[in-house]
Amino acid sequence: MIKVSQLTKEYGAVRAVDDLTFDVEPGRVTGFLGPNGAGKSTTMRIIMGLDQSTRGTALVHGKRLADLPEPLRRVGALLDAGAMHPGRSGRNHLRIAARTNGIPLARVDDVIDQVGLDAAAGRRIKGYSLGMRQRLGIAAALLGDPGVLLFDEPVNGLDLDGVRWIRGLLRGFADDGRTVLVSSHLMSEMQLIADRVVIIGRGRLIADSPVTEILGALDGQRVRVRTPFAVDLARALEPSAVSVERTGPDEVEVDGLTAEDIGDLAHRIGVPVHHLAEIQQSLEHAYLRLTEDSVDHHGHSAVPTSAQPNGASR
Amino acid sequence: MSTTLLESSGPGTGVLLVRTAAAEWSRLWTVRSTWWCALATAVAVLGVGTLAGIDLRDVQAPEASAWEIGQFAAGLWMFILLVFALVTTAADHTSGGIVPTLQWTPRRAVLLAARTSVIVVSVTVFGQLLVIAASTTVHLWAPGIGLPMDEGARTLGWAAFVHATCALLAVGIGLATRSTGGGLAGVFAVIIVLPVLLQVIPHELTVRLNEMLPGTAVIYLLAGDGPGGTAMTTTSSVVTLVCWALGALAVGGWRLLRTDADG
Repeated sequence: MIKVSQLTKEYGAVRAVDDLTFDVEPGRVTGFLGPNGAGKSTTMRIIMGLDQSTRGTALVHGKRLADLPEPLRRVGALLDAGAMHPGRSGRNHLRIAARTNGIPLARVDDVIDQVGLDAAAGRRIKGYSLGMRQRLGIAAALLGDPGVLLFDEPVNGLDLDGVRWIRGLLRGFADDGRTVLVSSHLMSEMQLIADRVVIIGRGRLIADSPVTEILGALDGQRVRVRTPFAVDLARALEPSAVSVERTGPDEVEVDGLTAEDIGDLAHRIGVPVHHLAEIQQSLEHAYLRLTEDSVDHHGHSAVPTSAQPNGASR
Repeated sequence: MSTTLLESSGPGTGVLLVRTAAAEWSRLWTVRSTWWCALATAVAVLGVGTLAGIDLRDVQAPEASAWEIGQFAAGLWMFILLVFALVTTAADHTSGGIVPTLQWTPRRAVLLAARTSVIVVSVTVFGQLLVIAASTTVHLWAPGIGLPMDEGARTLGWAAFVHATCALLAVGIGLATRSTGGGLAGVFAVIIVLPVLLQVIPHELTVRLNEMLPGTAVIYLLAGDGPGGTAMTTTSSVVTLVCWALGALAVGGWRLLRTDADG
């Protein structure tokens, strides 16, 4: 199990992690979510002993990583797939890892086979694609058959087959009773993989709950409406809905009203409706709502000004 | 989950050090740049030895020593070995390889000891082999130049000391700068550039400064005489080199032990 207690990391005047406390329990996949710069990677690096905390502790099996004599047998991590010497072959990279922890070299071929890198293992890493480097990093994490696994954006660079493979792999580890902590920006993927999510923003804990609870906390049903008079409809819905969000030039999404309520209202004010559908609440929606005040870096829409969601108004 | 792997008892620091040293040795020979560096140095040293031997092939001077010429030939190219020591150390940081390295060996003192030992021993042993090969080459081309065993032991002893302390210096600078470019500039400066530059400035201060540089000590120990104007002795050269080597290792070691992995 991983136990993070009152963890704080400061880089000069910048506080990257701020009094963060959470546990990662065995037997389930815990998603670690947050906007860019939220402190996810920093937290994982402190857990893995790469960075030193300013205050607080991050323990694996009740110990700092440096206090585990053979860490690869207890915890495996993929933090940065690019962090390998490009001139070395994948097999030699893993052999070096095995030697450091007294792991039999035969195990190297086992994990190469497990991650599907057999054909490329003898080639130099500089010729690997990002997906192959991800697989090699995962192989290194699995080398000691550890009970605790940490993955920072493990599906980056993987093709669909690879994504499905890692999904099954993580599920299998959790079902085996291992502790699995996974960070990702892909909310749809997290919704499929994670049993529980820890969400942080600006270094602080925002939520630490099972995915079902996070979704259940959303305000009821969400309905999508498409109409050429989106502005008028949105104005009419606002007094009775929990929220009305403009998601396109002729589209709004509404919380707190049923499709029947919205259809009736549109009929009463004479607004034609081209599309009306209840949409399933997603982790992405919950995540965006939870982190909307914690995003440091906002982009701007690439939609031309003329196509901005002004909508038509009568 | 396999229980066989999990149930192994925790080994002591000595075992961890041996395992980490074995891994560091693998780290050296599993990249082509190591072999290219070794090949380039060997060709250069043997080439200089051959040219010197051909030049002296008609000389009959049994009192002269091929060891001196061999040591000089190897000393000319010693810098390649120092570059190798520095690049090997710094490359783990510049490539990001330090991230998995510290996950596998989170006890940083063990990593520092293993990495330093393997690089210093490798450079020293290879340097010795080069001196032996160059001296033998000179003697084979010029049999009139002697190859006395007692002189060989003394020459190899000093060559080992110079190689070991300079490799320590290079490792320390590599760990301290965590940058190939910065590290190379530092090693170049204190071993070659400053000793040569300072000797052309005839001033008491520059002469005293020059006497404090490791490059000046290396020149004295290999050639038997320091750069112009300096008053080096064997003792002062040894003390200077040891101080620089240990000082650089202390700074580089502190950075590895006390700061973030790639901060």
